Amino acid sequence: MLTSRRAELGLRRAFLLALTGAVLTGCSATLPVEQRMSLPGLPERVELTEVPFYSQDDHQCGPASLAMALNWAGARTTPERLVPQIYLPARHGSLQPELLVATRRLGYLGYVLEPGLDSVLLELAAGHPVVVMQNRGLGWYPVWHYAVAVGFDAGHQEVILRSGRQKRHVVSLRVFERTWRRAEYWALVVLPPGEMPPTARESPYIQAVLGLEQLGHWRAAALAYRAAVARWPQSLSARMGLGNSLYATGDLAGAQQAYRQATLDHPTAGVAFNNLAQTLADQGHWQEAEQAAQRAVSLGGPLLASYKETLRAILARSSQ
Amino acid sequence: MLRLSHAMKAVSYLAIISLLGVGLFVPIAQAGLIGTEAIVNAADAHSDRDRVKKLLAREDIRNQLLALGVDPDEAGARVQGMTDSEAQTLAGKLDQLPAGGGVVEAVLIVFLVLLFTDIMGFTDVFPFVNKPAR
Repeated sequence: MLTSRRAELGLRRAFLLALTGAVLTGCSATLPVEQRMSLPGLPERVELTEVPFYSQDDHQCGPASLAMALNWAGARTTPERLVPQIYLPARHGSLQPELLVATRRLGYLGYVLEPGLDSVLLELAAGHPVVVMQNRGLGWYPVWHYAVAVGFDAGHQEVILRSGRQKRHVVSLRVFERTWRRAEYWALVVLPPGEMPPTARESPYIQAVLGLEQLGHWRAAALAYRAAVARWPQSLSARMGLGNSLYATGDLAGAQQAYRQATLDHPTAGVAFNNLAQTLADQGHWQEAEQAAQRAVSLGGPLLASYKETLRAILARSSQ
Repeated sequence: MLRLSHAMKAVSYLAIISLLGVGLFVPIAQAGLIGTEAIVNAADAHSDRDRVKKLLAREDIRNQLLALGVDPDEAGARVQGMTDSEAQTLAGKLDQLPAGGGVVEAVLIVFLVLLFTDIMGFTDVFPFVNKPAR
């Protein structure tokens, strides 16, 4: 009896040792951690003290973290109000894409950063808090967690988080990078539309604004596209998006201006002429509208059938 | 119960497909503005097969949200807010993707291992552990 109990204890000890051994080798394989909290032009220390804090209730770090980011951006919401939008009761947690959906439902821009520490540091330096996902446990025993990065200290190599029940969780870069890497460096900024993440790239940014469009947040989309046009003046998508959002809010003059600029920057883009033609027609400029529609049809492309319909409708209306 | 939900799934797929079938006979080309989505994602042509796939993905997500305990009204709104690419990412994976909840529901041995790794600075589970700086 005694021996079997001892054997059992021994087995347990061996198991524990094996486990920790596996853990240590698993982690040391990924070492050394790059200590690269030094970018040219980056301040030594940043802390966004104005980011509000919501303490996490059971399992609800997702709603709490998103509420902090949204309220910082200007939305008025609470973790309680976000729970039905992003919480999955049976999973005891929230999924990353659903954080984005909830953000855009409130008319705010959610942008997922390029994976890596540089993006987070640059956003923090620009004054933007960053929602991060971490696996605070281990690969074989994940403890998925959302927190909000609100600062860093390059001298002490530390990251400052609003996390769980802690308003100010200071964690060494080494520990933070390990836990964050296990969640594939997922990081999200939540911004009032019109404010541009300094690390944004054109294509994913436009996709983010498209999400706002899809939910009918046209004013927000117009602001976001205007910022995109300022950053990427030659972007056809941004210019057309600006025109379309202004059109949807009833600002035909603004839309016309955006489409016209698109035809100048992209003289072979039939779609720019097509939308310009429609807007001119709505304003009663029939002759100009017809010219633009003709141009779209002669340029052709995959949307030719639509251009032809536009032209046909304009000819029918102008002859009335 | 399982059989019923399969049957319901089949019925809803049939409904979607028949609705789309009606759409097939309507001319797709429309006069007027061309939306930003069509401009940006011009490459992936909106074939009818694509549209069916996208609708099925959304239907699948809605069912999974319900199965995971989300309120029916809210489930619809949650799916509606997704972009097509988000819906594609999520479809069929809601029970596998990492769900951030931040709480350890652990047995003692896991607690001990995590405590140890916390002290070593490999993990950051327990706020009461002082992690080493390097």
